[in-house]
This record gives sequence, structure tokens and C-alpha cells, in this order.
Amino acid sequence: MGNGNDITVKLDRVSKSFGEFTAVKELSLTVRAGRVFGLLGPNGAGKTTTIRMIVNITAPDSGAITLFGRKIDAELQNRIGYLPEERGLYRRMRVVDQLRFFAELKNVRGKGVEAKIDEWLARVKLSDWKNKRSMDLSKGMQQKIQFITSVIHDPDLLILDEPFSGLDPINVELLKEIVLDLKRAGKTIIFSTHQMEVAERICDDICLLNRSEKVFEGSLRDIKRSFGRNSVAVRCEGGNGVLDDPALVSKLVRHADEAQALLAAGADAQVLLRRLIDAGAVIGKFEMVEPSLNDIFITKVTEAA
Amino acid sequence: MRKFFAVVKREYMQRVRAKMFIVSTILLPLVMSLFILVPAIILSIDTGSPMRLAVVDQTGKVYGHLKGALESDDSRQGADNATRRGGRRFGRFVLQEVNANGQSLDQLRTNLDQRLRARDLDGYLILPPEFLQSGQVEFFNRNPGDLLSNGTLQSALNRAIREQRLIEAKVDTKTRQELFEPVSLQSVKVGDGKAERDSGESFELVFGVGFVMYLAILMYGQIVLGAVIEEKETRIAEILFSSVRPFALMMGKLVGVSLVALTQLAIWGLAFSAFALYGAAALTANGLPARIPRVPFSYYIYFGLFFLLGYFIYATVYALVGSMVTTAQEGGQLAMPIILILVVSFYLFLPVSRSPDSSFSFWVSMLPFSAPVAMLVRIVTQTPPVWQIALSLFIGVCTVFAIMWVASRIYRVGMLMYGKRASIPEAWRWARQA
Repeated sequence: MGNGNDITVKLDRVSKSFGEFTAVKELSLTVRAGRVFGLLGPNGAGKTTTIRMIVNITAPDSGAITLFGRKIDAELQNRIGYLPEERGLYRRMRVVDQLRFFAELKNVRGKGVEAKIDEWLARVKLSDWKNKRSMDLSKGMQQKIQFITSVIHDPDLLILDEPFSGLDPINVELLKEIVLDLKRAGKTIIFSTHQMEVAERICDDICLLNRSEKVFEGSLRDIKRSFGRNSVAVRCEGGNGVLDDPALVSKLVRHADEAQALLAAGADAQVLLRRLIDAGAVIGKFEMVEPSLNDIFITKVTEAA
Repeated sequence: MRKFFAVVKREYMQRVRAKMFIVSTILLPLVMSLFILVPAIILSIDTGSPMRLAVVDQTGKVYGHLKGALESDDSRQGADNATRRGGRRFGRFVLQEVNANGQSLDQLRTNLDQRLRARDLDGYLILPPEFLQSGQVEFFNRNPGDLLSNGTLQSALNRAIREQRLIEAKVDTKTRQELFEPVSLQSVKVGDGKAERDSGESFELVFGVGFVMYLAILMYGQIVLGAVIEEKETRIAEILFSSVRPFALMMGKLVGVSLVALTQLAIWGLAFSAFALYGAAALTANGLPARIPRVPFSYYIYFGLFFLLGYFIYATVYALVGSMVTTAQEGGQLAMPIILILVVSFYLFLPVSRSPDSSFSFWVSMLPFSAPVAMLVRIVTQTPPVWQIALSLFIGVCTVFAIMWVASRIYRVGMLMYGKRASIPEAWRWARQA
């Protein structure tokens, strides 16, 4: 597997409600093998419920889920590694016992496990903590151990729900490298987050969810290309009011010393530049940029509404 | 199934290796024996010399009997010292008879009062001339609160007056001894046509089994509850559910903790048996009969089965409570009614033993929560047909699985709801919808 065309996960018009509340509505999506798939959306969009249905913690009300070409069942759980957003460790248990236990729960046991544990601990630079109890570890260390629990059984599909939240930049970099290594090894990774900037850096494909429904699905490159370079980074003095003209700019985000302007439909960057000069603005920077995932998301959501 | 055993193993190893387990295993018997020994030691502290008692016997016939009665008390104590608790030693007396020698009663009393104040005496009795008829006697002493001495004195007086009254009724010594020969009551159990002797020992054993069950539930119920909550408090539940079915997880936890409980009980049981056997051997060596309960072997199997059943039925209720709450404190409050049910079903002991074959007893021995004790009582009194025993066990086992099944569903939905605490109707809805 891992040639890019096999399908690891397929959802076909899947819905799930809790009482009155619809968490996921008629969701269809396809996760291809050997790719990093970003499941994106704001809090409460239905990301976690979708993931829980994929790992067979909860069953959909309607629709079908296929994993590795099979209908999901308890057996397939052993091929999935899952790091939920809500995660912890047994406080009084030694790190090594803990990892061995989680491996056993995936039906992985025997001599090989010990070597795997050592290997992973070395990889996240926690070898010295092998025999410590998890209550003695710092929060960041615990998070890395939690990450190992989701990969210790060498799963074909790895699902990470907000894996980097609360980690310092060095450890984020470390885990990101590991995730990309796993991808290179042919594993499929589903990556759920509401932080678009993080997703932008590691995802091949994305699916945007908003209010229980899919807004967009496809490869990150395609969606960026389809949006074209219709965003402008501007740094200028004067020219007040031009950037606020809705005929030219549909959305304006002001940063400390520059602004990002998303061009309105049918507007031309050249026109915008001329208008600024005519208005007497002194221009320090005027650059066409790709829209950020965040911008795309906001545009898509507004379009859908 | 292998995942279930992984959960059992973790639960067991983590707990048995914990310092808490080792400490409590050693400490609890020590504390218990302290509770038994300390009162015994305190009671046996000899608070000084025997009570010096003057007796004015105006009948002239009772003093001898009284002295005899008190002395026989003393000698009996000597023989039984090994087994008798220290309390009796309070009742020791040194008697002295005071003759009137022509003094009036008032003069005598003034003298005796003086001696009492001078601490030459601890008390005096005046037996009036009509004592044999009236039975009225006055006891003057410095310390009317010494209940133990008063009791001993009273029973000795009773024996003395009875003796004298019998003599006056012209009953000879031999007849008197025969009259006081005590009764030996032996209840004989009538089974299927054959009569077997049962001196109530099996009944005591049932009581013992019930009591150990009660203790085990009190001690380990809370631990089962804590174990179920552990994954919620540490937020591991969701990771686990991506690997193992909730039912297997819950069952694994229940069995794991229960094995810890049984391990601890077995250690205590063995220690106690060794101690008891040693004690019994020591008693036998001293020529005293040591009682080892003689009951049919099949009873021990029933004791084991129904003990386990009772323990598991109540432990699963703790697991159920654990599945509904988010913290151990909440669980503790919600678990209170369980103890109540337990106590009530324990007291069903009495009505069931009075009429073991009534339809009341039948139903009570089928209901899961009261069955363990009630069925054991029925077995040792009037053994019911085997099908009833089997049915009772079957219902109980089904109950355990049913409760665990409901608990695992509530647990899973509760986890999906982000650790919300379930009210009873909510829990019911969750159990059905999950």
C-alpha cells in the first residue's frame, strides 16, 4: 500500500445525532492511503464525532464506513492508532508498563514489544524515563508518551486529534517530523485540528467541516490553486478608505504593520494598486500571495451560507 | 478475550504491587486483634485486692452456703482461666462473719459503718431473720457502681438461699445435686428420612460467611467504584475504547479488583486458620475439647459459591454507580443505598431460618440481592431441591452480567458526553440508546 491510490477510509453519507443535536450530517469523504488527511473546522464542527465513528467507539445512525476496504469491526481497531484530544495516562504506572499495556490492548505482545518501546522512547528522547511513573513526568513528556501509545502497535492508520496542543515549539517540530516519517513509511494519517496554520504545513488533503456539514474536500494544492492568487499583502501609508471599498476588497485583515486584503470577486489587483496611488498612498509593499487556509475556510463558509 | 485478560492483569498487578496493598494486608489483622485484645487486657487489669465483705447472718443458716457459693465461683475461675475473659476476676470476695454477740442491730451497723469509713471493710451484708421467706437483703458498700461485684454477689446469694430453702423442704443432698443437673439441648436435623446431628455449627458458619461477605463488600466495593472511575479521572477512557469493548473493559476491571480482594481475603483466611489450628491444638493438648465445625463437605462448596455470588452482585452495583459519576466523592454518596440493601438482606436471615420452606423464603432466596444469605440459610436448615439452588445461582450470575452490561453502556455514553454526570433517568436513556 501507499502508492497514493488505495483508499484507507471511506465514509458514505454518514450521520450521527445525540438527541436533538446533529453532530454529523450526511458526511461523505475519502482518505487515500499514504497521505496526511486534515480534518479541519472550528470547535463543535463534528470532527471528533467523525473520528470516533471511524475508530468504532460510536456507531453512525445512518450511512456506511469502510476501512481498508472492509466494513468496520472490532478487529480493525487493532490496525488503527488513535490519539484522542481528551487523553491521559495512568498516573501511578511506570512508563514501560503503561506502553506494554496499551500494546497488549492492540493484541501486540511478546519480546518484540520491549524493543519497540525502547526504540520509541529513544526517538522522543525519553529513554531515561522508562521506569519512572507517569506522575513524575512533565506535561510535555506525558504528551510524548501518549503519542507513543498511539503508534506502539505499528498501525496502518494513525488518527491524531489536536496532537500538538500545549506542546512547546521544539517538541511540535519533533512530533511533526515523526508524523512525516510515518507518512513516508506508507502509513495513512488523519489529522484533526482547528489550527489552520498547523494543518497547512503538513496536510496533503483536507476536508473542511462546519456545523456538522462538509464545506470542502480535496487536495490542499488544488484548493489553493483554484482560489488563485487573489490575496494581496499591502504595507502603505495613507490611501485611507481605498482598502475598505467592498467593490475591491471582500475581506481585510490588519496586522501590526501590514494588511492582508482578499480581492472581491471580479476585482483586479492592478486597479487596487492604481486607486491606492491615486489616493496618495506611499506604498512599502504590494505583493500577490496565496490565500491562507484560514481565508479559504472563511470564504467557503460564507459562500455556503 | 485476550484484551479482557490484559485489563485483568493490569488491574491486578498494579494493585497487588502497590504499597497500600501490602500495608493493609499486614495492618488490618493487627488492628483487628488490637480491638479484641485491648478491651480484654483492660478488663483483666486487677484493680487491687478482693472485696472484704462482712456478713451479719441473722438467720444463722445462710452464711455457710454463701461462702461455699462464692468459693466455687473462685475455683471455677481458676480452672477456666485460659478461656474465660478477665472480667470475672472482679467478683472476688473475702468473707467474714460478724456475730451479734448481744448487740442490737443499730449498734452493729454503727460499728460496721465505722470500719467501712476506716477502710477496714469494703462492704457489709445484713441478712434479716425473715430472709429465707422474704428474700430481702441489704448490701452496704462504699462503691455501689461496681456492677460486676454486685452481679456476682447476687447470684451467689441466690444459690445460697435456694440451697437452704431446699434443705428446709427436706430434700437430701443427692436429690439436690440431681435437681441442678443442667440441660443439654441437641437439635437434630431431619433430612430425607435420616436424622443427622447438627449442633448449630453450620448455622454459625452461614453467619460467618454472610459476615465476611458483608466486610468484603464494604472494603472492596469502594475500590471497584474507584477503579471504574480511574479512566475517567485520568482521561484514558477514550484511548481504551479505541482498542477494547466497554463491556470487556468493565468486566476486566471488576474481575481484576475482585482477584485482589480474594487474594487479600485468602491471605487473612490462611493466617487465621493457621492461628486457629494452632490454638485448637494447644487447647486439645491441655485436655480441653477444641471444636472444629463438623458439617457436610458439600456445604463448603455452597458457602464458596454463594459467597462469590453475593460479593459479585454487590460489587457490580458499585461498578454501575462508578459508570454514572465522574468523581469518587460523588460515587461514595450514591453508593450509600447499596449498604442499606445489603444490611436489610442480611437481616432476612432471621425470618428465613424460622420457616425455611415458606414461599417467602423461596422468593427471597431467588431474588439476587438477598439470595446469597437466604439460600445458605435454607441449605443448612432444610436443604431445598437442587434445582432451586441451581436456579438461584443462575439468576444471580445473570444479574451480574446484566448489571455489567448496563454499566458499560452508561460508561461509554457518559464518556462521549465529555464526563457529564448521569442522573438516573439519563443513565437509563443512555443504557438504551448507546
